[in-house]
Amino acid sequence: MLQILVLLFGISLLFMSVTNMLNTLIRILAFQGLMLFAITILSSTQLNWLSFAFIALETLIFKALVIPWFLSDTIRHNAINREVEAYVSNFFSLALMSLIFIGSFALAIFSGQHSDKLFPVEFGIAFAAIIKGLFIIMANKKLITHLIGYLVMENGIFLLSIAVGGELPMVISIGISLDLLLLVLVAVLFIKRIKSGFELTESLDEEGEEC
Amino acid sequence: MLVFALFLYPLFAAFLSLVIQQKRKIDILVILHALLHFGLGAHAFIRRGSLGQMDDLGLFIFLITSLVYLAAAFYRWGEINEGTLRRYRIHSIVLMLFIASMDAACLVKDLGLIWIFVEATTLSSAILITYDNSKASLQAAWKYIFICSVGIALAFVGLLLLVLAQGSHASLHLAKIDISQLSAFWLKLSFIFIMVGFGTKIGLAPLHFWKPDAYNAAAPALCALLSGALMNTALLPILRVDKIMRAAGLGALAQDVYLLMGFISVFVATIYIVKRPNLKRILAYSSIENVGLIMICFGLGGSAIYAGYLHILGHSLIKAALFLLAGNIIRFFGEKAYGKLPGLLQKHKFTGWVWLLGLFMLLGFPPSPLFVSKFLIFGELMGRGMYPQLILLVLLFASLAYAIFKSSFQMFKQDDTAEKERLSHTAFLSPAVLLAIAIILSIWLPVFD
Repeated sequence: MLQILVLLFGISLLFMSVTNMLNTLIRILAFQGLMLFAITILSSTQLNWLSFAFIALETLIFKALVIPWFLSDTIRHNAINREVEAYVSNFFSLALMSLIFIGSFALAIFSGQHSDKLFPVEFGIAFAAIIKGLFIIMANKKLITHLIGYLVMENGIFLLSIAVGGELPMVISIGISLDLLLLVLVAVLFIKRIKSGFELTESLDEEGEEC
Repeated sequence: MLVFALFLYPLFAAFLSLVIQQKRKIDILVILHALLHFGLGAHAFIRRGSLGQMDDLGLFIFLITSLVYLAAAFYRWGEINEGTLRRYRIHSIVLMLFIASMDAACLVKDLGLIWIFVEATTLSSAILITYDNSKASLQAAWKYIFICSVGIALAFVGLLLLVLAQGSHASLHLAKIDISQLSAFWLKLSFIFIMVGFGTKIGLAPLHFWKPDAYNAAAPALCALLSGALMNTALLPILRVDKIMRAAGLGALAQDVYLLMGFISVFVATIYIVKRPNLKRILAYSSIENVGLIMICFGLGGSAIYAGYLHILGHSLIKAALFLLAGNIIRFFGEKAYGKLPGLLQKHKFTGWVWLLGLFMLLGFPPSPLFVSKFLIFGELMGRGMYPQLILLVLLFASLAYAIFKSSFQMFKQDDTAEKERLSHTAFLSPAVLLAIAIILSIWLPVFD
């Protein structure tokens, strides 16, 4: 069952590569949040009940409900164009995602020789999600898409921490604090309504414009 | 016991500042915090072990933070602040919490906890950057927090891989990591992620993009702390993991990575310094250059390790002083572009001369600790026969010195319309004291165990 959920999470990453609409991306994020919630419940044996309850609830409320809602509302209120407007085509994105999967699974299978505690499917998909998140950040100009990329990356990290958590359950709780950063980023975008997009690599002038 | 004071005081001051109705009194709370910080640091220096489990490396970073914070706190006293009381109150509370987060990162030995405290410094410093609530500062803070969040997330992946590297009985506590059980493959991968992650936070190229904007938008005292204290705190986990790498026999790989990232940083910073004639941005790019040099020191090893620690110390003091002085200059002129700042000596002679001295020291001219560290770097490069790297570094230093002096000398042009400006004593003496300490340390060189 756990493996099926992880595979569904992996398929959602492929879906992200072929969609052009921000709202679809946000729905996929909510779906990923639900998958992670279910995965947390099935992995509950690694955690004590208090940590388990906190992490499961946080995952459900935060990743599956609150953040997707915030992002949808920001798009509505800031009148952001609903298209993703990526620098690369869907075909390129999908091809790259496939390569990321191949690379991640190769790493997971190869590295399985170094750690008998590692589950290649979890590790491969988690690692692929982290790389995919980075790719979304680099391949898009909109701040909202950067945030979506960060969230995908964070979902991958959460999955990885669940996979690794058998060795040291504390890391799952530590990793949850990444959501705090995300919350601040979303809150600034939501409340302050800053410009919808700028290059992360370009300097800003005294008025906040790229120079 | 003393260690509790470090964390209880900010909480106590935060509650107290909620009922205080004057900015001056809030400033006093911050100064008292800085004095307490410095006092505890000095006490721990004399009586090792008085600050809990803080080791020598942690204490080294803590003491640098103490000096920079003290100067920044007194500098704030001399600043004219036009923000509302409520905003100033929040700013002061967050400032103390920001310092407490850095202290905690110096204190703990668990990489997971260090990671959490470094994350806390990102959150608190982002709030401090947005103090003036302008569009530019908000966007700079967003960029800062976003890029650093990505870096911090990658560093966390590195920690997860470090757990994986240990197999059963894994721990992130430095004393509990069993080096003999580490898988070399996972440790290498973990190190790369930790290096890239925390490297983003210290502003190593090519992950430095947040730095010029954040420094440009931040207030002078905060710039001093970001450059003189936070950068070192973010370097701390890298230095901690470096020890694991060396103990596991993977020091050579770590050194290669340091050298690569170090040279890229120095190169990129030089290019941008030549391109950007803006007071604060030049200092920001210079921080990228200097952190690159620090990485080169640790990459070279041998006597350059000493140079690395000396460079951390010297750069923190000098750069913090220059950021504070830059705050004075911007206050005189209301501008940051070099071309619009003529007649500095007519406006405020002391600030002008100290600024010039600081620039000389930053570029590594004696009497500066950076002169000694750069001398040792050159010596190590020559000793290892790394002549192409040596020539590259000399060329980059020459270009950098040319660009900085070319821009800075415009400030010393005569301007008949310039009028003399008045400054609070703490606003120009605080940076001068930092430079004086740096000069003393270049003559009586510190010994690092």
